[in-house]
Amino acid sequence: MTAVRSTSVEGGGGRRAGMSATTTTAVPATAPKAPQAKRGRLSYPVLLLIFAGALLAVCAVRAITGAQDVTSSGQISGMLQMAVPIGLAGLAGLWSERAGVVNIGLEGMMILGTFFGAWAGWQTNPWIGLVAGILGGMLGGLLHAVATVTFGVDHIVSGVAITLLAQGTTQYLAKRWFNTGHAAALGGNPKQSPPIKSVPSITVPGLSDSLLTIEHHHWFLVSDLAGILGGLVTGLSYFTVLAALLFAATFFVLWRTAFGLRLRSCGEAPIAAESLGVNVYFYKYAAVVLSGGLAGFGGAFLAMVPSHIYNEGQTGGRGYIGLAAMIFGNWRPGGLAMGAGLFGYTDSLQLRSGGPAAHALLLLLVILLVLLAARKVYRKSYRQGVLSAAFAALLLVWFLMTDTIPNEFVSATPYVATLLVLALSAQRLRMPKADGKPYRKGQGK
Amino acid sequence: MRRVTTTIAAAGIAAALAISATACGASSTSSGSSTSGSSSSGMKVGIAYDVGGRGDHSFNDSAARGLDQATKQFGGTPKELTAKTTDTESDREQRLSDLASAGYNPVVAVGFAYADAVKAVAPKFAKTNFGIVDSVVPGNNVDSMTFASPESSYLAGVAAALKSKSGNIGFIGGVDNQLIKGFEAGFRQGVTDTKPSDKVTTQYLTTGSDLSGFSSPDKGKSAAGGMLSKGIDVIYSAAGSSGSGAIEAVHGQKGAWAIGVDSDQYQDPGLAQYKESILTSAIKNVDVAVLALIKSVHDGKALNGNNTYGLNNGGVSLATSGGFINDIQPQIDAVKTKIVGGQIKVKSTS
Repeated sequence: MTAVRSTSVEGGGGRRAGMSATTTTAVPATAPKAPQAKRGRLSYPVLLLIFAGALLAVCAVRAITGAQDVTSSGQISGMLQMAVPIGLAGLAGLWSERAGVVNIGLEGMMILGTFFGAWAGWQTNPWIGLVAGILGGMLGGLLHAVATVTFGVDHIVSGVAITLLAQGTTQYLAKRWFNTGHAAALGGNPKQSPPIKSVPSITVPGLSDSLLTIEHHHWFLVSDLAGILGGLVTGLSYFTVLAALLFAATFFVLWRTAFGLRLRSCGEAPIAAESLGVNVYFYKYAAVVLSGGLAGFGGAFLAMVPSHIYNEGQTGGRGYIGLAAMIFGNWRPGGLAMGAGLFGYTDSLQLRSGGPAAHALLLLLVILLVLLAARKVYRKSYRQGVLSAAFAALLLVWFLMTDTIPNEFVSATPYVATLLVLALSAQRLRMPKADGKPYRKGQGK
Repeated sequence: MRRVTTTIAAAGIAAALAISATACGASSTSSGSSTSGSSSSGMKVGIAYDVGGRGDHSFNDSAARGLDQATKQFGGTPKELTAKTTDTESDREQRLSDLASAGYNPVVAVGFAYADAVKAVAPKFAKTNFGIVDSVVPGNNVDSMTFASPESSYLAGVAAALKSKSGNIGFIGGVDNQLIKGFEAGFRQGVTDTKPSDKVTTQYLTTGSDLSGFSSPDKGKSAAGGMLSKGIDVIYSAAGSSGSGAIEAVHGQKGAWAIGVDSDQYQDPGLAQYKESILTSAIKNVDVAVLALIKSVHDGKALNGNNTYGLNNGGVSLATSGGFINDIQPQIDAVKTKIVGGQIKVKSTS
């Protein structure tokens, strides 16, 4: 395995081979050179088929249960608002961990983002607020980089310290800045900022209305598609678009440029990278500071798009959920976006419609488990197949016997969904090899 | 070398943390001492606020209003202290004993977070009268001030039922604890007693020990958005600052009304741009209870035991700012009279 790794940081021809090796998910440890590495990943037609299948299943669930909110445009735009902060936190974690620094301080950097974003935002406009939020997050990132890279402090300890520090500092500053003079007159208090102006949003004229009309007919599949598209073209915040672009940019920079290759090599084999002349400290610093900026963006988004104020405790652990989404996505932007989307979707669904909609998701779970059982039986692993089928049957009974789900279960929906997916796909996950490991300059000599 | 740098870094972080901690502490003591100063004339009232303190536009401010009124009536210089989020149980006990041993009487603790501290400190100062807001603590020298929020929620329910055109009404609770369920029960009863055919849909933002439902405007907005899309046109949110998200969502829908909670949210400058959508608010007047305690101590007949402040003594009420419920005020007043007179029993559990 080390042989494969070290080719990944050699220049020239070795780069391509190394690239595909690091992107595979299921290379056995003994594989000599990961032959046909693309095989390990799903090809685009298969991915599209899975998406189409999932869409059909959701349509069927909507038609059977009558839970219209499952694919409504309101639900989809709600999902985006819930998903973007989590996705940005995950993206921040991805940058940092790809360079080998575990960033558990994301929560703190998000808090800095909400605070500084709102502080600059209420006095000027959301765009300057966004810049301030990103800078605030970068400050947290810089602190983390100094502690972990230069001084070699344990990554977890530093991350926890940064979160505590961010909480304390913002509480103190909020009292000073939001509870005095003009700010207090506009509605600021020690726990929240004065309101910030709305971020401009895009609604595609004509298209949005016609899609909404189609959606209200509740036709099978057609209305569902209209609802999903309608949610994407109605009231779409510019910040959301920017966040989506950042995902594409992350993929491009980290996987298609020399800078990205070197950065990732610091997370896989820093000593080998050093021996090839890569300035590991520089790349780690760059990654962690950028990571802080992304987390700060996530925080600023939270303070300015779904709400218009900074509010103490607003992040509510989203930094940690972002990390979960990143692991779910196997340290890759595409998977991470799906993870964040899943969180956003279930979170928004349970908030918008509560018990009945979560009840409809039970049926979706039954369908998924039946498919899984069929696949396991087809692959001749009968025990797992029977187990899945039994679970499906149990859930089906639960679904048929009840009309709604108790409140406690409903709010656990996003977490249960993630746990399930993680449990089902954990074997395929691979973290950067030197993630969280201490590295000192000159170790390679 | 390695060890040295690690030590330096650790020390640096520790110092930074210590600074941030003392910074918080410093600000709260300074705000306390700024109003201190012992004067021999008039009453010596000690008050310990919950996190946020004076200026939080919410129940701390309401308690401060009661204190200000009392100071105006009876003279004297009060001593005000404020809790920190990082407080431990012993910090709170220390704060109360400091006030009591310095001779302040009564000592008012604002917020249920002080319940255990009052329970521990009150027996040690038998001659001092304590007050605790939002909690019940036994003791001869303790005035437990609780509020009949279900009663004001009942009135909010009446207003919602009379104002709703669709007959679909929503309730958003911050966290599904006993206190908020009391709000829901009263509200639901108010709606169904007024219009039995109306339907109340309930949504709690978080459950159990996850208290983030009280401080997540985005969650409030999502929940309200979901309700509006189902044809619900009046939404009552008892969810702390999450309610501002719900009010914002309601403002985006023509003809829909939001009902606020705890303070008169129509007057909240932070919500000024949405105030045309705030039908009314179910208010909790902590000032009434605080003033009553101080007055009773002043008169030498200190209140003790559990004193519930409801519609009968102005402890809770329904706001009229904006004049949106002027047309239905007679009906609301009639219901209020019945609640005060005991003809209507408001439930506090559903």
